[in-house]
Amino acid sequence: MDANTLLLGVVVVTALGFDFTNGFHDTANAMATSIATGALRPRVAVALSAVLNFVGAFLSLKVASTIATGIVDSGAITLTVVFAGLVGGLAWNLLTWYFGIPSSSSHALIGGVVGATVLAAGASAVKGQAIVSKVLVPAVLAPIFAIGVATIGTYLVYRITRGVPDRMRAQGFRVGQIGSASLVSLAHGTNDAQKTMGVITLALVANHTIGGDAGTPFWVILACAVTIALGTYIGGWRVIRTLGKGLTEIETPQGFAAEGSSAAVIFAASHFGLPLSTTHVCSGSIIGAGVGKRLAEVRWGLAGRMVTAWLLTLPAAALVGAITWKGADLIGGAGGVTAVFALAAVLALGLFLAARREPVTHANVNADWTGKLVPAKESVA
Amino acid sequence: MSQYVDFDALWKVLVAALLAGAGLVAVYALGLVGLAAARNEDGRSAARPAGVVVAVVCFALVLAGAFMGLYVMLAK
Repeated sequence: MDANTLLLGVVVVTALGFDFTNGFHDTANAMATSIATGALRPRVAVALSAVLNFVGAFLSLKVASTIATGIVDSGAITLTVVFAGLVGGLAWNLLTWYFGIPSSSSHALIGGVVGATVLAAGASAVKGQAIVSKVLVPAVLAPIFAIGVATIGTYLVYRITRGVPDRMRAQGFRVGQIGSASLVSLAHGTNDAQKTMGVITLALVANHTIGGDAGTPFWVILACAVTIALGTYIGGWRVIRTLGKGLTEIETPQGFAAEGSSAAVIFAASHFGLPLSTTHVCSGSIIGAGVGKRLAEVRWGLAGRMVTAWLLTLPAAALVGAITWKGADLIGGAGGVTAVFALAAVLALGLFLAARREPVTHANVNADWTGKLVPAKESVA
Repeated sequence: MSQYVDFDALWKVLVAALLAGAGLVAVYALGLVGLAAARNEDGRSAARPAGVVVAVVCFALVLAGAFMGLYVMLAK
């Protein structure tokens, strides 16, 4: 095996690792409300979401557009830059997962690539205007849109069904909630698995393994679909708990309105080409569902922490991406990338072990919110 | 300013999201009201079978909306 093949292999493995955390981090977007309201049992919910993510990854097979295209000069993108960008995104995904904070995987990846590019090719290789129009402005708009739509939807739902008996209302919205959450899962698989497909295809093209105008090879599609589904099934229970229990107490009608709003905003944004983050939309919808029901309490302090994390996503991932690129570059070649990869893997393992000491799982994900992410042992249901 | 913000896509997304996200959700709720009127579980007034028709129309609308959403998203 020559050095180039080794480098390519490490990049592909890192990309799949990112894809895994993407699924794992975002299970909450589709399923947190269904789990919180009891519409679906926790493990059934993550299994359903995993299957739909898998299916979704196969649904739209237009050439996967790469996330970094248009944000940095395409000439500046080398395998090492792609690798460093992925590590930046991965690091931020894992860190926010540990603290149970939903944050955008795409922003993390973009941040990582931008950071690596600045060191590799200079700040002029980064297109500032594209970052504003494709990343920052949509990040502000996504939660605002979602809060608005979900607030109106929730208000209407409660208003319209005032006369419907409670039991029937709960059952009816339970079915609706499962349906709308399934749509969100499907959309997630379609949009997010494609990002990793794009990154791997880019790496293959850069390495001349496939031609520049070749489509995404089937094994890439399959690998990405399997990995994102696996990540979804493992389930980022910490993030699920924050979204489902932390932000606001959710009843079935609210869950239905929130998922309906998320699905609508994501579908519309995807159709009209506005790059909104699934995570920002879903978090906004859940806040809207809290606002739309009179007297429902939204924990604005927690929402504020989430927004802070969103603001930090780009610079933090950029920093890690830059450090990773520098480290790999100092050691040099495929060996440098491999060494940094090994270091990153050790750090990731450490974080997983730390999380296991205070686990959030399918068993305690719905425990009452007492201001802390990890519920006390005795409150485990 | 418009080089930073795609206003054309913006208002389209907002209108579509409101129609589907709040509109269809409300239609689904209307379907439940129809179903409740037909079943009349609380026995306060006479059951109204016409409620079933309302429910079927509403749920069909919501399903059609969902499939249309999937279709337009995948056909981009």
